[in-house]
Amino acid sequence: MAYNKPVPPRGQHTKPFWDGAKEGKLMLPRCRDCNRVHWYPRLICPFCHSTDLEWIEGSGRGRIHTFAVQHRAFGGWAEEVPYVTAFIDLDEGDRMMTVLRGVDAAKPEEIKIGTRVQVEFEQANDDTFIPFWRVGEE
Amino acid sequence: MAAPNLSNAAAIVGAAEADVIGYREDLTGDKATSLQLHIEAIKNVSAQTGIPISDIDGIFSAGWSGELAEHLGLKPRYLDTTSVGGCSFQIHVHHALAAIHAGIIDIALVSHGEAGWSYRGGGGGGGGRGQVSPGAEMTAAYGAFGAPSQYAHAMVRHCHRFGTSAEDFAHIAVVTRQWAQLNPRAVMCGKKQSPFGGPITVQDVLDARLIAWPLTLYHCCLVTDHGGAVLVARPEIARSLRTNPVWVSGAGESMGHQNMLEMEDFTATSASRSAATAYKMAGLGPDDMEMAMIYDSFTITAGITAEMLGLAPRGQGYTLWKNGDAAPGGRLPINTNGGGLSFNHSGMYGMQLLVEAYRQLSRSAEDGVNGVEGKQTSATACVVNGTGGTLSTTGTLVLTSDDR
Repeated sequence: MAYNKPVPPRGQHTKPFWDGAKEGKLMLPRCRDCNRVHWYPRLICPFCHSTDLEWIEGSGRGRIHTFAVQHRAFGGWAEEVPYVTAFIDLDEGDRMMTVLRGVDAAKPEEIKIGTRVQVEFEQANDDTFIPFWRVGEE
Repeated sequence: MAAPNLSNAAAIVGAAEADVIGYREDLTGDKATSLQLHIEAIKNVSAQTGIPISDIDGIFSAGWSGELAEHLGLKPRYLDTTSVGGCSFQIHVHHALAAIHAGIIDIALVSHGEAGWSYRGGGGGGGGRGQVSPGAEMTAAYGAFGAPSQYAHAMVRHCHRFGTSAEDFAHIAVVTRQWAQLNPRAVMCGKKQSPFGGPITVQDVLDARLIAWPLTLYHCCLVTDHGGAVLVARPEIARSLRTNPVWVSGAGESMGHQNMLEMEDFTATSASRSAATAYKMAGLGPDDMEMAMIYDSFTITAGITAEMLGLAPRGQGYTLWKNGDAAPGGRLPINTNGGGLSFNHSGMYGMQLLVEAYRQLSRSAEDGVNGVEGKQTSATACVVNGTGGTLSTTGTLVLTSDDR
């Protein structure tokens, strides 16, 4: 079935991220001066204000920082309610948003902050593969 | 009376441009973005002056100040995003002069970037169409719709960290409704105003329709039509009027983030900083506050903010409502109009906080229209805190009554 949910607008400074996603890689911006990874992508390091930035391939691993269960939605997402949105602490540092997979939205009490998650990509169109995070086996 | 003399109260100490300007797309092959032009100019003026970007404590721009502060990782003390056309930047300098003269900030950044050529053809007023904020780009896919879908994440984190529960926060909705019952203009005053009006219980809150777990409908503010206005005047004028003055004893502002993705601590807001500034200016502290007007977009917003304002220990903001302190007749009345939860909430509720704080401290909170017996408190000092965005920006005022 064709992807029926909002596809992210393509920004002007994030090509390496989307190119990587197409190959199943989670590309992350890192500052060559202070060595810290930041998310979302910047034109300047938000920690030390260097503009000497690079893209690295992330491990695609992290932990649940917090989450919520969405019961009210529109468009393609309305067909999926309830679903779990979450913020993920990346192993490399900083945080991403996602819709969490591998969890039961009807039993939010069973979802635990700190749980290990792994990234996966879903194809939205020819050029766009969107990262989602899944609670792993462990 | 003569206006305060701001002459020479501040100076422009550097000025720079973006790296490549002009027909940049033609020169470099790449479209410039407005954000990029901003950042390059900021980097250059920092290098020129030797002032580290991290020393900037006031941000002035035509609509970009929140995005710039977040992109730069700054937590400014003064945000001005006045956008009134091409003269905006002269106006920003004027505002910066006043802010510096007042001792609020030391270093003001006035910034502009506009990819007029690279994004030409977007209609009048310069380029812009089609440019994407990277924060929005990296969150747009993930099924969050409006404020409740975002704020729910904060409550989950608060419960995880402090052992609190949705039931604890439900008390905020229940007590706020009690205040609404004293305000005939409150949407949820009673059955006359709304079929859903009148008293509610904790169980009612927990049993209401789920919007974004753990937030049910009654954890969420109303959506109504509302307008409000206040006038501010210098003391000589304030004293000459037939109305009672309420003094702006302290004021502060700050931000934590613009996009919730950048919220460092989901159980805290920048109100800790904006309140510290306001209390310091007023020479008063949380223990001096005798009531509070706290933006209650959601119960979690009010609970967290009470903690940030120092009115309750960390993790225990909700106890002010649960133990009755915040209720009519309580030790520390909070949201005496019925709040965004039960009075009115038009979208940007901060004005309503001001109107009610004025009424309370000017002793005009009971006139049979805007409040009935039991609504007027005896408070002489009120902390007012507005929260904007997704627990993003905060403005705090310490207001005092003339009879204090």
